[in-house]
Amino acid sequence: MRVVGQELPRVEILEKVTGQSVFGADVLPGGRVLAGKMVLSPHPHARITAIRTERAERLPGVKAVVTAADLPAIRYGRFVRDEAYFATTKARYAGDRIAAVAAVDEETAEEAARLIEVDYEVLPSVTSGLEAMAPDAPLLHEDYADYWAQPDLDRRGNVCGHKQIVRGDVERGFAEADRIFEHRFHVPMVHQTYIEPHTATARFDASGKATVWASSLALFPLRAAIAQILRMPMTKVRVIPTEIGGGFGGKLSPTVEPAAVVLARKARRPVRIVMSRSEDFQTTNPRHPFHLRYKTGVKHDGTITAREIEVVLGTGFSAGSGVMISQGAAVRAPGPYRVPNLKIDSYCVYTNTSTCGAYRGPAGPQLAFASESQMDIIARELGIDPVELRLRNAMVDGDETPAGARLEDVHAKETLLKAAEAMNAVPRPPGNNVGRGVAMAHWLVGGMASSAGVKLNEDGTVAILTGLVDLSGASTSLAQIAAEVLGVSLDDVHVRTADTDFAPHSTLSAGSQALKSMGGAVLLAAREAKRQIQQVAADKLEADPGDLELDGNTVFVKGSPERAVTLREVGQMALEHARGPIVSTQSVSQLTPHPAIAAHAAEVEVDPETGRVRILRYVAAQDVGTAVNPLSVRGQIEGGVMQGLGQALSEACTFTDGKMDNANLLDYKIFSALDAPPVEVHLVQHPCASGPLGAKGVGEPPIIPPPAVMANAVYDAVGVRIHDLPITPEKIVKALKAKRAAQR
Amino acid sequence: METPRIRITVTVNGEAVSEDVPGDRSLLDFLRDDLGLTGTKEGCGEGECGACSVIVGGRLVDACLIFAAEADGRNVETVEGLADGEVLHPLQRAFAAAGAAQCGYCTPGMLMAGKALLDRNPSPTREEAAHGIAGNLCRCTGYGTIIQAVMEAAKES
Repeated sequence: MRVVGQELPRVEILEKVTGQSVFGADVLPGGRVLAGKMVLSPHPHARITAIRTERAERLPGVKAVVTAADLPAIRYGRFVRDEAYFATTKARYAGDRIAAVAAVDEETAEEAARLIEVDYEVLPSVTSGLEAMAPDAPLLHEDYADYWAQPDLDRRGNVCGHKQIVRGDVERGFAEADRIFEHRFHVPMVHQTYIEPHTATARFDASGKATVWASSLALFPLRAAIAQILRMPMTKVRVIPTEIGGGFGGKLSPTVEPAAVVLARKARRPVRIVMSRSEDFQTTNPRHPFHLRYKTGVKHDGTITAREIEVVLGTGFSAGSGVMISQGAAVRAPGPYRVPNLKIDSYCVYTNTSTCGAYRGPAGPQLAFASESQMDIIARELGIDPVELRLRNAMVDGDETPAGARLEDVHAKETLLKAAEAMNAVPRPPGNNVGRGVAMAHWLVGGMASSAGVKLNEDGTVAILTGLVDLSGASTSLAQIAAEVLGVSLDDVHVRTADTDFAPHSTLSAGSQALKSMGGAVLLAAREAKRQIQQVAADKLEADPGDLELDGNTVFVKGSPERAVTLREVGQMALEHARGPIVSTQSVSQLTPHPAIAAHAAEVEVDPETGRVRILRYVAAQDVGTAVNPLSVRGQIEGGVMQGLGQALSEACTFTDGKMDNANLLDYKIFSALDAPPVEVHLVQHPCASGPLGAKGVGEPPIIPPPAVMANAVYDAVGVRIHDLPITPEKIVKALKAKRAAQR
Repeated sequence: METPRIRITVTVNGEAVSEDVPGDRSLLDFLRDDLGLTGTKEGCGEGECGACSVIVGGRLVDACLIFAAEADGRNVETVEGLADGEVLHPLQRAFAAAGAAQCGYCTPGMLMAGKALLDRNPSPTREEAAHGIAGNLCRCTGYGTIIQAVMEAAKES
């Protein structure tokens, strides 16, 4: 291939390095923009007895104040309709939306927000999913049984979804085992912490049409949500994407957009809401906290005979996507291994926090931390090398997921061996407190409803039209796919992400499936455009269309390159040709899922006095299919590893009395350049049958193994096992003290 | 209550600008809202993320933390002033080639941090380069490509 597989800079890179990219807060909607501000509940759980807005409305400079009274009385939710946009009778977390204001400037809007008086009767609250399952726990939704929910959803009290998977006979599996291991793990809530906070700008025109500029990963679902919340037809809602300053799954669900629209409608002026960093931490959709119990039976030789797994997700005050994520967690819980006998219970539980969402690789790091920590414990107990134990049980082509889907293009063993080989290529440095750890994980990449348009311009250049928001280089990869098919260079292809009025329906920028889905649509559209090009050129060249090849911006007869026309000529000829302009829009949906494997290894040095972990080396091997753009692929892997290491060692949203107590970038510690180790990336490339030109999804897998890798490396270094993320210096020092005390 | 306004004269990317600004106006709001230079980004408004990094009088500062009035009579450099017309600054070229910008939101601040470093230390070690961008958070890249780009730009300039 000529263009696919090349390390090419991103198509929109010039705007990015010159400061010209237009992000959420940079949009100029026309007219003076009012500043919007949300009024949020300070209490994690409270009955609302009165909301008084008069003082705020009287403040000079205030142009609109809105509450639930300004919206139709509906509850929404994909799995359970349990969420109202503004709280009416009850606030269910510290951050629940009560009202919103718009004023001439930010200071006035903030003052107006303070002047809104809300009377609360504070109720007992619960932020732990496990505690919320207890019979005497405070109930978040007293009327849950009356809510509409997807049929067959098993709900009871605070449990808004329970998924059970049984394969084989787990009791028989444990009976066959020589050893049985059972451990509990805990993973706290962590936040995506993109650098651009949530931002929305809205205007409402005289015809009743709302235009929303959003930094959203999901244009079409956002349009649908706004239309639903405001009860408007979709033709009256237009969502225009801005550049998006990081998402990682945190910008999939509506947050401030509906408020901006309803404020703009009431104020008859454009309104912009920019979340403060503290609001962003407290009111968006972070990663679910998990409690996990893993029970695993093994033979003396390490063969797994059974796994019984229980996971509890704290989903927050509404089910959100938690139901889907808990179901996906059940399917991936056993890890990339063949486990003949399984019993998995996955519970999605209401808690008094913001609704958790689909942070990159949802459920992945939590499950892998538990599963891969336990694999390490088992290896040590059985005296088997940790890599060898994993190889012995690794899944292979033809194996099935716990849900019964047959997997192909599985490269677990090769990927793990690649990571191990790279780590072992350099001898372990001397020193007492140096250790190495390894972990392997998988992600399942589906493909969702997507369409894309490809057209040939009259000058022979190519345009791609999508509704896909690009964060991680997707537009560049789509252009590479079209360039490959049409025989042009990347410079000859222009990709445009259009808004919901103009773009064909496109998938979310989520789940590592954007390139699979959209690339699939672009590939089909480019092939159809090629067929049309061949048809037009065939008349001119007096040849059979099937004998024509496209390369170097020309169309020529196979074997006779002198019999050629340029794409520019074809673009012009098509206008005079009976077939007409060359353009195609194609769609895909429900693509066969493929597994994508990440195997990581690390070498750390732990200071036993301070508990500080220094990462000496980090190796990430990943099974990526065909790397359409290796520069983007490596970038995804390096960035994913660093987020995963943050979750491993320093990140956690912590709560006191139901309120997040580290909602700022000083106390919520993401990695800085000084914390970041170099990452050695190794790509395992085998074309994948279900991906466009062989590509696999690459964004999620690299974030999944790091917490387990760190836990295993720390154990190897100093002999203490941390079961509760993050692995902080305090926990290591405490565990070392306990270990010394036990030895005395 | 209106904050008293102050007349300031600031040289922004080589061009002298005189404006009346409220005394409590941040340099960031002055650049973005009054001058329309929206290349400089706000990530936290508390001086913790570095997205609003600009160079004032040769020093790297968080534009959200200082008042516009404090820049009175001084030179302010922002991302918009990096390129020389159509010709990109070596840092911009290096960032593009290395894949050092993913979402691009931290990029303007990172570029200015890189420039402040190279202005005082034209050939940094990898560790010095990492220190130079330590006050700028990036959530996409993992920093490796950014450090690499700063090193590459150092070689070129």
